[in-house]
Amino acid sequence: MSSYYSNEPMLDMFIFETSQLIEQLETSILSSEKSSCYTQSAINEIFRIMHTIKGSSAMMMFENISCLAHAIEDLFYFLREEKPQKVDCAVISDLVLESIDFIKIEIEKVKNGDTVDGKAISLIDNIEVFLSSLKQNNASSASADTKENNDVRKQQYYISPDRANSSVAKNTFKAVIFFEEGCEMENIRAYAIIHHLKELADEVFYTPEDIIDNDNSAQVIRKEGFSIYLKTDCPYEKLHDFFMQTVFLKKLELTQMDNDDELKQICGEKREDSNQNSEEQVLHNGDKEGKSTFNNEIKAASAQQSIINVSVTKLDKLMDLVGEMVIAEAMVVQNPDLKGLQLDNFQKAARQLNKITSEMQDMVMSIRMVPLSASFHKMHRIVRDMCRKLGKEAKLEIIGEETEVDKNIIEHISDPLMHLVRNALDHGIESTEDRQAAGKPQTATITLEAKNAGSDVLIIVKDDGKGLNKEKILEKARKNELMQKAESDMTDKEIYNLIFLPGFSTKDNVTEFSGRGVGMDVVTKNIEAVGGSISVDSTPGNETAITLKIPLTLAIIDGMNIKVGNSRYTIPTISIQESFRPKENDIVSDPDGNEMIMVRGQCYPVIRLHEHFGVKTEIEEFINGILIMVESEEKAFCIFADELLGQQQVVVKTLPNYIKNYKNINGLSGCTLLGDGSISLILDIGELV
Amino acid sequence: MKRVLIADDAAFMRMAIKTILDKNGFEVVGEAENGRIAVRKFEELKPDIVTMDITMPEMTGLEALKSIKKIDPGAKVIMISAMGQEVMVMEAITLGAKSFIVKPFKEGHVIKTLNKVLLDI
Repeated sequence: MSSYYSNEPMLDMFIFETSQLIEQLETSILSSEKSSCYTQSAINEIFRIMHTIKGSSAMMMFENISCLAHAIEDLFYFLREEKPQKVDCAVISDLVLESIDFIKIEIEKVKNGDTVDGKAISLIDNIEVFLSSLKQNNASSASADTKENNDVRKQQYYISPDRANSSVAKNTFKAVIFFEEGCEMENIRAYAIIHHLKELADEVFYTPEDIIDNDNSAQVIRKEGFSIYLKTDCPYEKLHDFFMQTVFLKKLELTQMDNDDELKQICGEKREDSNQNSEEQVLHNGDKEGKSTFNNEIKAASAQQSIINVSVTKLDKLMDLVGEMVIAEAMVVQNPDLKGLQLDNFQKAARQLNKITSEMQDMVMSIRMVPLSASFHKMHRIVRDMCRKLGKEAKLEIIGEETEVDKNIIEHISDPLMHLVRNALDHGIESTEDRQAAGKPQTATITLEAKNAGSDVLIIVKDDGKGLNKEKILEKARKNELMQKAESDMTDKEIYNLIFLPGFSTKDNVTEFSGRGVGMDVVTKNIEAVGGSISVDSTPGNETAITLKIPLTLAIIDGMNIKVGNSRYTIPTISIQESFRPKENDIVSDPDGNEMIMVRGQCYPVIRLHEHFGVKTEIEEFINGILIMVESEEKAFCIFADELLGQQQVVVKTLPNYIKNYKNINGLSGCTLLGDGSISLILDIGELV
Repeated sequence: MKRVLIADDAAFMRMAIKTILDKNGFEVVGEAENGRIAVRKFEELKPDIVTMDITMPEMTGLEALKSIKKIDPGAKVIMISAMGQEVMVMEAITLGAKSFIVKPFKEGHVIKTLNKVLLDI
């Protein structure tokens, strides 16, 4: 838990950015794996991401994440600088992916407000061990560098070029500087002083001497201070002011020496193995960072557009308000007070208002729409891991990832998708030997496809595995008494769709991934929770395709209002095929008492709404009322109601829990407020069928 | 109020620094997520001081520092570095950076460093 930054925005930003970076990193690793090793730009990207995560998590006091990121950063620093030849890329990928998983889990803890207490010690150990073995196996290049360093190390003092041998500067000073505790990198701060001192002084000696290339000198400086001997024309005050400008200066002891004996003595000791190179030379090893150019396709794209991040809660609120606005607009425009009045100008203005509110609705919807790309791409990792674990070969094909769905829905799709992909790999795809025997390509293909179909989005998970086994399914269904229809009455498709029933699994053993018979059921529930539906089709021996149908949006639909007695109902316009007034002899009854009607040679069942919902109405003869033909999932039937009231955009409100818990009413998907203030119940065509 | 330009590729870091600066009477006039944008914004905004992260894509903090110093030799740039970047910090100082701040940083350190550097003529 962070005690340093307790304000929410920092934490939110940390979670958001770190999650984004982790995703980017995972994609990078997976694609590097496919192309068999790590390009220079991939190494740079991974280095940079780990460096950033190390910094941010340290700021938020998440030490374990920071240390882990640091270990990976060190590994990739080595890869970047030394460019070793003998590298086991598979091990690297595994190490990084393991680290990614660790960080993902810790971030979840952060999100949920739990203590971030994961232990990364063994993972860090593994990384460090790997790095040292990497260094050993690629030792030859490393030793050359250290030799270089040794030669240049000697330099520890500076003499101004035009005063090479003897200095005529007047004043000799000794300065001892102590830095504040905890300011870090004291050796560099000391270097900074020396660097700036060049402009003021001619001869400068200092101790500890190895501030440039030995970071342990920082320790020495902390204990004993940084001592400088210098000769300059500057007066005491000027020199004092100069030193006082040092950031994090704790103590300065500045003394003017009477003569330069002490200085000459120190100088003499060191001059034997000196050279006159300027201190800049030491640094040529350092920065190779700038030299590699960056092809960062992922980030480049987002840098071009101007994008801001908005909290989803605000969007939800906006959505609610737009819904209320639609209702309010209806209440104004369809106000009973206006009934029967001739209001041309008013109608014109009302139409204009309607135009604007429609546009606003569309805009708010589109803001909440998010492409499925992210959800789809997450599956790459699943495919890779499962292939590894099961010893199968498969590749993931993605079609239509730019298809968008509402943000709310995306969250409910991830888990089902994961389960379906896992299923495909576990159940559907055969082992490489079986595939070869069947004459199929060795690498199986799993296809994730998304496309728009009317007001729904279809997501199809297809695999070219061994397909569904009708016999096994029927057997299992019979055993668990899940058969609702006689076998002979069922189409193949209906048989396949039995797998969605709870408790169903034709797998004999329970594995880590599947077989308990709870997976498909949970998937179905998740999909239905967002108002969608799931179905499956298969060609035995060749293919299985699972289709998820998900509505684009739940909140506002086009509806046709109808009247039954004193009650009002709304039918989603999308389900309506046609409406008509039947003739008495068009209706026929079957032996069970079910009514049906013939339309253009086809037979459709008829549902009398007043009977179904138990509503009193005077209109019971077909010729007095109206029949509305509706369709859902390729099944069509006719609804009998009193009259049509008119088409309208309605805001779907869910039925209050009180009602839902009290009595489960079949055939209603929600309710809404009409323009005249009355309540209309929205029919769920799928359920009525 | 002294005007500051923040350069860092991590949105989190930029936010962290901005929060500290806002609280302490500085005006953050711009943010840059890589070295190239940092140089451009320096030219546009002419801030009093720049905080420059070392590790950035497209153009590193050191290169941006070089370019900025070319535009204005008196420019005051403070490097933001992590432990282990000693060599690069030294090079930055050689190139003319006034000072540096080490991550993870404390509010006090940041403000002290900025104030001291601004005093320096």
